[in-house]
Amino acid sequence: MSTQEFSPQQRDKDHGLVEVMGRSTPMVNKGPEDTLPSWPYLFVWEALLFLGISALLLAMSILIDAPLREAANPNLTENPAKAPWYFLNLQELLLHMNPSLAGVIVPTIVLIFLMSIPYLDRNFSDIGIWFASRKGKLITVWSTIYTVPLLVGLILFDQYIRVRALISEPEIIPGWIIPIGVMGLLSVGLYAVIRPFRPNTREVLVAYFTGFVVTFFILTIASTFFRGLGMNLTLPWDLPPGALSF
Amino acid sequence: MISRLRQQLRQFPDMLLQSNVWRSVFRQGYPDNDENRSLVVMNSVFLHFHPVKVKTNTLRPAYTLGLGIISLFLFLILIFTGGVLTFLYLPTTEQAYIFIQELHTSVPFGALLRNAHRWAAHLMVLSVFLHMMRVFYTGGYKHPREFNWVIGVILLVITFLLSFTGYLLPWDQLSFWAITVGTNIAGYTPFMGAEVRALLLGSTTVGGEALLRFYVLHLVLLPALLIILLGVHFWRIRKDGGLSAPLHAEEVEK
Ligand code: HEM
Repeated sequence: MSTQEFSPQQRDKDHGLVEVMGRSTPMVNKGPEDTLPSWPYLFVWEALLFLGISALLLAMSILIDAPLREAANPNLTENPAKAPWYFLNLQELLLHMNPSLAGVIVPTIVLIFLMSIPYLDRNFSDIGIWFASRKGKLITVWSTIYTVPLLVGLILFDQYIRVRALISEPEIIPGWIIPIGVMGLLSVGLYAVIRPFRPNTREVLVAYFTGFVVTFFILTIASTFFRGLGMNLTLPWDLPPGALSF
Repeated sequence: MISRLRQQLRQFPDMLLQSNVWRSVFRQGYPDNDENRSLVVMNSVFLHFHPVKVKTNTLRPAYTLGLGIISLFLFLILIFTGGVLTFLYLPTTEQAYIFIQELHTSVPFGALLRNAHRWAAHLMVLSVFLHMMRVFYTGGYKHPREFNWVIGVILLVITFLLSFTGYLLPWDQLSFWAITVGTNIAGYTPFMGAEVRALLLGSTTVGGEALLRFYVLHLVLLPALLIILLGVHFWRIRKDGGLSAPLHAEEVEK
């Protein structure tokens, strides 16, 4: 049976707000030749990604069990007691400076820095280009090369030589003045490293954002895989059972 | 006989696509021409978040790395798995742990469900962070997308908090001490540390009040906030003319 006569003809509808025009696009500054229809080009990608993620997650969930320790017991302190991994960078900082500085002031400044990035970099001629330029790529690499050894060195220094063993009184010196001084010097040093490139605003931001990201990962990794009993430095294979906080 | 059947089979897709049942659901024919490809997007509440046409640059996997979409899909999976887990869990200090134990021992597919929820949560934190890095390094935050970047930073913080509040719910040693450490950090807020900590915990230590607060934050308040802000995030992407792209096409090659 033909159903044609019962179904309203789409074409008769004359009140659409959007009219479909041949070969055109509403996008500003973009010719139609730069666009493709979302169906199928975009939706195929999205469907594939969804399938891929579901498959990965299913495989992971079959293979690895989520941890479940003994029931919570306020009288039995875990050693080491670790925050979830994405906060372990803060917990690592906590070991090296006054807790208000490490736990609240530094992350607040980082968030303010992140939010202000688009208002500092007002030039959009290089929008959409990975790392801004060839120079930007070099700056990313150099910022990483600069940050990694210095951070690892500082962590080792504070474990084996210890700032507080050198000077512990008054608290304001090891808790505030030295760490702020070190962070300030690290930031100035980063600028000194990239200055020879004569960076523009975006490239300076690339250096500092890279410094932030590398620091985030180094501190997270150090605190997750290298901190054992009493949050002392340990090698990953010597970690006490259950020291991983996933 | 056979050939008639063959003919009917060949016509079947067309018949289906033109039947009034199919048309009542999808309203347009199969999207194999420009008109239907537009209509399919405009007629569907799910697809209409997308533009009818996208820039070729947006489709380059090496540009977005798919990370925004991956974050969204992980969030959807979390809503679904979390929704089912809610049937099987109560946030009291006496029962919470037992409910989680039962997932592993007596609930069919309980462990799978819990594992999927937990690993998706970790992956989402990671993918949202990587998405931020992608947007930064491609300059996707530039005018006119400044404020969408700011919304993004807030989304990142909410993602952290969602994961953190969920972490307490199993009420085992891992979650108890992690949340003790985490809320101690919040307790170092200058001038009002004790107050901030008390607000989070509803008490001076991690206990039943904290479990209830984290439960409500994790199930209602933070997801609601995330969903609203995601709506704004996506709406702004559309209003900003889709994703960022190089001003000159040839720069893609470099
Ligand atoms: C729950 C977390 C988030 C979800 C689900 C999400 C989702 C998305 C999606 C699907 C896109 C489309 C392009 C793409 O896939 O890359 C996008 C673009 C964008 N996102 Fe997010 N996002 C989240 C968090 C963030 C964060 C943390 C930031 C930055 C701090 C951010 C900033 C942006 C910006 C500026 C764009 C436009 C980029 C461009 O035009 O190139 N988003 N987001």
